[in-house]
Amino acid sequence: MAQDADDNWERQVRKGWLELAILASIWSERLYGLDILRRLEADSDLIVAEGTIYPILNRLKRDRLVESKWVESQAGHPRKYYWLTAAGRRRTIAMARHAAGFLTRIQELLAPLLAEEE
Amino acid sequence: MSHPERLQTRIDAYLMQLRRSLGELPPEEVADILREIRGHILERADAAGDMSEERLVAILQALGRPEDLAPLYQAEALVARARTSYSPTLLLRGALRWAMLSVRGFAIFLTGLVGYGIALGFLAGGFGKMIAPHDVGAWVSPGSFSIGTTNNPYAHDVLGWWLVPVGLAVGASALVGTTWVLRWSLGFAHLRRPMPGGSV
Repeated sequence: MAQDADDNWERQVRKGWLELAILASIWSERLYGLDILRRLEADSDLIVAEGTIYPILNRLKRDRLVESKWVESQAGHPRKYYWLTAAGRRRTIAMARHAAGFLTRIQELLAPLLAEEE
Repeated sequence: MSHPERLQTRIDAYLMQLRRSLGELPPEEVADILREIRGHILERADAAGDMSEERLVAILQALGRPEDLAPLYQAEALVARARTSYSPTLLLRGALRWAMLSVRGFAIFLTGLVGYGIALGFLAGGFGKMIAPHDVGAWVSPGSFSIGTTNNPYAHDVLGWWLVPVGLAVGASALVGTTWVLRWSLGFAHLRRPMPGGSV
């Protein structure tokens, strides 16, 4: 039961960070869905079900934070590439600042507790 | 059935289920989504090299069940369409979709339901009074108030002809007010996803 609650909490936290992680992954280059996933798998621990990034990208596009284009690939099937719009860059920066500040405060809050644990 | 065919059938079955679950989205958007997901599966399969049925099952499992994936698209799409709409049914459907995802959405959906209910009641009373002035009224009896017809002999009509302007005015205000409240609150729907540290 406690294990379930832990899992659920962890899932919620991941879900919350996922949108920022996706935006950050296309900060400096155009990537297609699976590329974004690979980037997130390599650099973070955020993915729960792989499919969840696609509806998020879909919404980011509807909100005009990202733009996308189908590009033919040598793999034999086209890939949908995503990149940030000007509004997307502004939002990503705002989210990143917010997240960094938040992390600092949480770390300060947790430091004494973690020190005691050691 | 040969081995590659069996794998292809499995992929098709997955995409078919996704298409079915995506039902209410515009067809061109559905086609785009299926194309992207198919590409994901094929590319994961390519990367796996020698393809086995177990490997494909693992790829599809990692992707998530179509029934779980589709509502994520729909909730976003329906709420997005609803927040720029003036249609009570679309607004309520958007709120209902949101209601399934969060307590806040549920509260908004209830507000919409009650608001439109009040609007309907007063408008019906106002129009009803014009059509059947002797039967329709704003009835007050000990412990109850109702607009419409009554067979309670102790009830008396407090508004009389005033029910026409009052009913129409209150009904129209409730209609417009509820529409604006729904549109306004649906505008926040996508900002209120769980983000550690609050919404940005």
